[in-house]
Amino acid sequence: MNRTKRKNRIRSREDVILDIIIYVFCILIFIATVYPFWYVFIVSLNEGVDTALGGMYFWPRAFTLDNFKKFLTDITWLKALGVSVARTVIGTAIGVIFTMIVAYGLSFKDLLNRKLYMTMIIITMYFSGGIIPYYVLLRSLNLINTFYVYIIPGALNTFFLTVGLSFFMGIPSSLRESAKIDGASELKVFTHIILPISKPFVATLVLFIGVGHWNNWFDSTFYVRDKNLMTLSFRMMEVINKTKVSATAAAAGISSTTTSLSVQAAAMIIAVVPIILVYPFLQKYFVTGMFAGSVKE
Amino acid sequence: MKRKRMSPQEYKRTFRKQLPLQLFVLSGIAYLIVFNFVPMLGIIMAFKDYDISMGISGIFTSDWVGLKYFKEFVTDYQFPTLMKNTIGISVLKLIFTFPVPILFAIMLNDIRCIPFKKIVQTCSYLPHFISWVVIAGIASQFFSSTGIINNLLMALGLIEEPIAFLSSAKYYWGMAVGLDVWKETGWWTIVFLAAIVGINQDMYEAAKIDGAGRLQRTWYITLPAIKPTIVTVLILALGNLFGGGLSGSNFEQSYLLGNTMNSSASSILQTYVFDVGLALGRYSYATAVGLIQSIVSLILVFLSNHLSKKFTGVGIV
Repeated sequence: MNRTKRKNRIRSREDVILDIIIYVFCILIFIATVYPFWYVFIVSLNEGVDTALGGMYFWPRAFTLDNFKKFLTDITWLKALGVSVARTVIGTAIGVIFTMIVAYGLSFKDLLNRKLYMTMIIITMYFSGGIIPYYVLLRSLNLINTFYVYIIPGALNTFFLTVGLSFFMGIPSSLRESAKIDGASELKVFTHIILPISKPFVATLVLFIGVGHWNNWFDSTFYVRDKNLMTLSFRMMEVINKTKVSATAAAAGISSTTTSLSVQAAAMIIAVVPIILVYPFLQKYFVTGMFAGSVKE
Repeated sequence: MKRKRMSPQEYKRTFRKQLPLQLFVLSGIAYLIVFNFVPMLGIIMAFKDYDISMGISGIFTSDWVGLKYFKEFVTDYQFPTLMKNTIGISVLKLIFTFPVPILFAIMLNDIRCIPFKKIVQTCSYLPHFISWVVIAGIASQFFSSTGIINNLLMALGLIEEPIAFLSSAKYYWGMAVGLDVWKETGWWTIVFLAAIVGINQDMYEAAKIDGAGRLQRTWYITLPAIKPTIVTVLILALGNLFGGGLSGSNFEQSYLLGNTMNSSASSILQTYVFDVGLALGRYSYATAVGLIQSIVSLILVFLSNHLSKKFTGVGIV
């Protein structure tokens, strides 16, 4: 009796110290993650000239919507927004469908040549020709400087292919077989039996591929010259690159209350908002959809 | 084996029966051939005198030059800097971004206040979904000479003059590694936390009865139990070591945060490939440089996989 009591006390002292460390660490991580976004948010809602004075940490000091107005009245930004939305919608639709059907086909263990197909996929995961041969390929396919360069080159992602593969292989084959005994064709089995139960996986794919398209600045930068085809991410990159070295010089040069830094903050908020909006869905699905298959390997 | 025993007729019949599925898969394979295997053929550019004006057939008709471009790169005056930065940043990222998520996962798992745990974890992986463009933007707002970090340090009296975090080579490595930890810790924590949650709780109960404290339980039960996950993630990180480890962020960071003032610390192999390849149009030379990196990466994957199989019995390839 006495002994267990003492043991409990000793254990709880270790518990208390560890708990304090853990809670402090977690609260620090929380602050470190959330505060930068909050800070950008208040900068975007504050008069740029006022922000430049410094000393603003928690709330906007001179509230204004001017930083956002700059965007919504500027045709180049609206155009970029349009291109970003278009590539995200079209690119996601194509990418999801393509990845789904290839993964579904490969999930049949008795598929002829399956081993060959799998080997080819694995090779592409570990080795690539590199960026220069890839660029030459895109050029010779006449994809450079077209809208298609946003859609076609990334249409099949081998990482998601393997995630999908382990997802489909987890579906009991009895489900497919019973439908086939009832006379359903292979295609019908896919659209009527498999698709309805694949919702978590489809949702995961849509969200991840969609976020990837939305965030991509790389292809605009290197594969596109046409100013009308630039994406929001690319415009953001331009703004950031312009301001990163001489922030103060840029801030001093503008006569109105906005500065390039405050406009940049508004641009970042516009780029982040769609991701925050889909975030609850992202995290609802991805633990089951994403890591269920890929971790166990 | 199975295929060899099949007669051609039988093969044809089975293939026809599988036709829809085969078409599904073959569409993907055709795509991989065009977008992945054809560029692999393009690697021969590295051994040839290729110019973009020759078109795609020029890759095969241009003159062989052997290892000329490899030699040129190795003797280039930028070679030591590029190698130092590429290896240095990559190794530092591996050292810091890899253990932090494990530690964070163990801590999160020990929190009994579920709402608190959920909120902290949910927020922690938000940065993973934000593009490097925005992260670089946030960094430039925070670390600029009039930014909040310098403001704060000056207000506290720790420094007299603003520190040029963004435009000084001294701070680039630290910033690259720090931002990487900030962006990706939450994301990789999910993997480790999933592994920890899957551990059999009876082991903890048994250890408790034997008088093991919390730290001991973590050391003797949790860590060994998630070893396969640790090894898998480590191999993934090693395989992409020169891309920047788990997040593969070296290129994006260097491109977005690098500038003429800090280039002695921020220029890496990948940005160099872009600069000489796409900007200067030296395709053969850039392909050679890229090839060196691909081969080193490939060797690292197989080496780490081999070592891990030997020492821990876990491998992924």
